[in-house]
Amino acid sequence: MRPTRFFDGRESFAAQWNDIARQVNRVFDHGTFSQGTLTAELEEAIKKYTGACFTIGVNSGTDALTLMLRAIGAGPGDEVVVPALACASSASAVCDVGATPVFADVAPGSYAIAPDAVRSRLTGRTRVIMPVHPFGRMADMATLRTIARDAGAVLVEDSRQAIGLRYAYTHAGLFGTAGALSFAPDKPLGALGDAAMVITGDETVADRCAVLRHHGRTGGEPGVSSPAVIIGINSKMDELQAAVLLARLPWLGGAIARRAELAARYTSLLAEITHVITPAAGAREDPADRVWHAYVIEAERRDALADRLSRSGIETRVPYPVPLHLQPAFRHLDGRSGDHPVAEATAGRMLALPLHSDLSLSDIERTCRAIRHFYRRNPA
Amino acid sequence: MKSVPFFPPALFERDREAALAFLWEMGTGAAQEFTCGEAVSALEADICRETGARHAIACASGSTALTLALDALGVRPGDEVIVPAFGCQPIAGAVAGRGAVPVFADIDQRTLVIDPAAAAAAVTAATVAIMPVHVFSVMADMPEVTALAHRHGLKVVEDAAVAAGAALGGVPAGRWGDAGVLSFSPFKPLGTCGEGGMVLTGDDEIARKCRLLRGPGGTAGAGAELTGYSSGMDELPARFLMRRRTTLADRLKRKAEIAGRYSEALAPLAAAGLVRLPPADPAERTWCHVYALLTGSRDELREHLAARGVGTHVYYPVPLPAQAAFARYAGGRHFPHAETVGRANLALPTHPGVNDQDVAYVIDAVYEFFRAGRRARRERNLHRDL
Repeated sequence: MRPTRFFDGRESFAAQWNDIARQVNRVFDHGTFSQGTLTAELEEAIKKYTGACFTIGVNSGTDALTLMLRAIGAGPGDEVVVPALACASSASAVCDVGATPVFADVAPGSYAIAPDAVRSRLTGRTRVIMPVHPFGRMADMATLRTIARDAGAVLVEDSRQAIGLRYAYTHAGLFGTAGALSFAPDKPLGALGDAAMVITGDETVADRCAVLRHHGRTGGEPGVSSPAVIIGINSKMDELQAAVLLARLPWLGGAIARRAELAARYTSLLAEITHVITPAAGAREDPADRVWHAYVIEAERRDALADRLSRSGIETRVPYPVPLHLQPAFRHLDGRSGDHPVAEATAGRMLALPLHSDLSLSDIERTCRAIRHFYRRNPA
Repeated sequence: MKSVPFFPPALFERDREAALAFLWEMGTGAAQEFTCGEAVSALEADICRETGARHAIACASGSTALTLALDALGVRPGDEVIVPAFGCQPIAGAVAGRGAVPVFADIDQRTLVIDPAAAAAAVTAATVAIMPVHVFSVMADMPEVTALAHRHGLKVVEDAAVAAGAALGGVPAGRWGDAGVLSFSPFKPLGTCGEGGMVLTGDDEIARKCRLLRGPGGTAGAGAELTGYSSGMDELPARFLMRRRTTLADRLKRKAEIAGRYSEALAPLAAAGLVRLPPADPAERTWCHVYALLTGSRDELREHLAARGVGTHVYYPVPLPAQAAFARYAGGRHFPHAETVGRANLALPTHPGVNDQDVAYVIDAVYEFFRAGRRARRERNLHRDL
């Protein structure tokens, strides 16, 4: 039997090849290979798609977080509140700018940072609140916005998993001062390598990000190396990745719809298995409250299940094996077991099932059959 | 009018079909890995083989490679790192980005690389590392710098961003320091179709840390051990480099040939004190990436050449300590050699697309300028500075 890969974009890629090749040829016609015409075109296209006033193409999602934090002036002595259950980059980016990540527990079911937990972690040094929209589900932005305003903190969004996610006509990343979008290969709009973007409605932040991504340089005279006005990094987007993304953008709507269809199939087939909790539907009635970047279940005996699925040729991933406050890299922040109970309890149960456009309904059925079989053989 | 651009136009045109083929193979290949996959490993192995480095760690850019190296070597906030005053921003930016302090040292006025005596004078109790940088077409004086580092117990981060393919005393650029850094951005000697960089090291622990740091900072399952940068190298530029590597030696040879012609033809102008040519010695430290001459009439010469269709480039007109971003680290001190070279350098086209007629045309245009003979006073001023 054909294995079910966690990610496999071969069919989509072949179907999109003419569009991709056409855009790649344009890169060679222009002869610029980082941050050129196609990056600018992609920035324009993402403005239209998200409604952002400003977009800044960068090299990776982690860089997007770093640049946005630097652009709002977060640095040594500042605290940045992030969810205790997220990918390590959400906290590493904070450390990279010299600020201190402060972890807050997540809400059960949504896995997004819990507003009450955020409130309990505010101090006089709180400078930034940076929620994640886990797996394409919106954090409670309305409440977080109020909390940030009351605390005098800047709200920015780690919306790397959230392209296409809108609530109240606002795209993820645009509720606060700035947001990060990732175009990593397994995202609904994925490059064939690393690429990402900062989106913002704040012109000052946009300008700073644009300067920061290229060594802190500002324009200058052609043919003369320009001096740096601020300390920057090198985080230009590769033109060839911009080409792939421009080619794929018209397919994004279809990719999002396809993932929703596949996710609905998982949910209906797993409904009867009491050992598994399927992802909660959107908290609000709005169907766009959720874009399926990943399909993550909570499973009893998760590791044994993953092992069984793997032996049946079904690849799964443990999204966040260890909550951030218990990871060695952040242990100096004095996180203790028991600090963030929901994050700790959930981390051991979460399992991401394959979810990508090229998956078939029969792949989903086979996976669900294998899960059912596992629990039938191991009822307790 | 004839046109001799400074940067090669239609860069990589010959590699277009190959890039499309690589992209197709990646998109339809079974691995479905697009960052730090097979091609990146193969490139690392090739560069190890060629340079004799024990470890090579590929990442998103040369600047990222500097950051990984500094972090892996244990450079922390408050630490001082000695860097040259003349060069590209990442030299100081990567240090400052770690929260550490770049301490500037002036350059040698002839070779334009860090002056070991100035570096020695910059050592304090807080100094933890020194970052020599190979500039234009001269490697830094690595034996002297290494000796200095040993005397004071400093780490050496060798910035070989522009020096892929160069060597000193049989030791390839990038292999001299505790960690060495290469850049693969498009216009570097070993440029790729995007951004890329690499750390070379002989130290197992530094290599292990760099590998963790270029990813999320840990291995799957255990959580992050270090705060990573998630900045691995993409497969496509790695595949592209595997192809471009095979022609690097030929390209460097052609560039050296062009440089040789310039130097031979312009020698009388140098003898007359009108220009300074790039040093051809010490021969064991030179190769050719950028061919920059120094002249007190730099801006006028540049304008004259532009009017003749000859593209040139001015590198680092403002020394790092004088740039707004880094002024806070300079303490108002001056770096006379870096300042003079910033005012006087003008790079001539040397890319392999420049043919012999182009070279002759550029030389004629330079002579045409100096024949006008109006430059004598300015030149005297320059030479007083130099």
